[in-house]
Amino acid sequence: MNFKIIDALIGAGSGTIIAFAVSQIIPAHWNMFLAMAVGGGIGMGLKFILLILLAPFFGAFEVMIPLSIIAMTVGMLSGMMTGYVLAGMLSVMGAATGLGISVAIYFSNKNLTRQP
Amino acid sequence: MGQSKNYDRVAKTFDFFRKGDMRRWGPAQKDHFSHMRGKVLHVGVGTGMEIINFPPGLDITGIDLSPKMLERARWRGRQYPGKIRFCLMNAESLAFSDNTFDTVVTVCVFCTVPHPVAGLKECRRVLKPGGKLLMFEHVMSNNIIYGLSLKFMSLFTNALEGTHLDRDTVANAQKAGFTVESEKNVYLDIVKAIEGVK
Repeated sequence: MNFKIIDALIGAGSGTIIAFAVSQIIPAHWNMFLAMAVGGGIGMGLKFILLILLAPFFGAFEVMIPLSIIAMTVGMLSGMMTGYVLAGMLSVMGAATGLGISVAIYFSNKNLTRQP
Repeated sequence: MGQSKNYDRVAKTFDFFRKGDMRRWGPAQKDHFSHMRGKVLHVGVGTGMEIINFPPGLDITGIDLSPKMLERARWRGRQYPGKIRFCLMNAESLAFSDNTFDTVVTVCVFCTVPHPVAGLKECRRVLKPGGKLLMFEHVMSNNIIYGLSLKFMSLFTNALEGTHLDRDTVANAQKAGFTVESEKNVYLDIVKAIEGVK
């Protein structure tokens, strides 16, 4: 099993799902800061569902750490932008952010697990 | 014995939820456990998922506080090419005399033991002088972002099943009197292979 590809797909996929969900739940006319806070909350809620679904197959910590960061970041960003950007574009932004965070964690892990 | 009942309850689904961890950590565990020697005490053997990563031919005693988990471990123990027996026992009060074992092994146990330093002191007591402590544990991260995620998630895991994601197990081993010879990061600085000596 190639975990590098799986981790990247989980990152991009969870970013897409969270951004899309936030864009569908938060009304476009909401104040940006309120939308940001609620978006972060929706992201964290979805994180728990995704974690329960994915952790048994791909490892608890390897799924939990990226998901925690992606859920908060994408949730807040999507909430802020939901009144200004179309749902499709927000989903692409969510996928890109999720993938970016997964890649950053991959390099962080490579650095931390390097043998002296 | 509330914790024992907790683990009895999850015994049937435990392997399913740990399957992903075993896929990720299998090679690192095999490498770490290749240092096991002589008479071995496996503290918190659970359903015995890690037995497959142990070198053959050892004399192993596995303890756990959940009878249902031990039932499953016994089945796995039968496949092990060596001596293996299981006892219902609490890590904080081991029913073995001092200086009994050459190696003590733990896998994701000291996140759950209510008094980790007391439990580790017990492990030290039953180890022979110069005996090895091999731990494969998740610990608190020094990175602020990972650390905050662990602190937040720990609120839920602690309430649900008594698992702490924010413990400094390396420091706890030192507090219990072990000399930590090596700590190798397996995933970020969260999952670690720790080697200590009495």
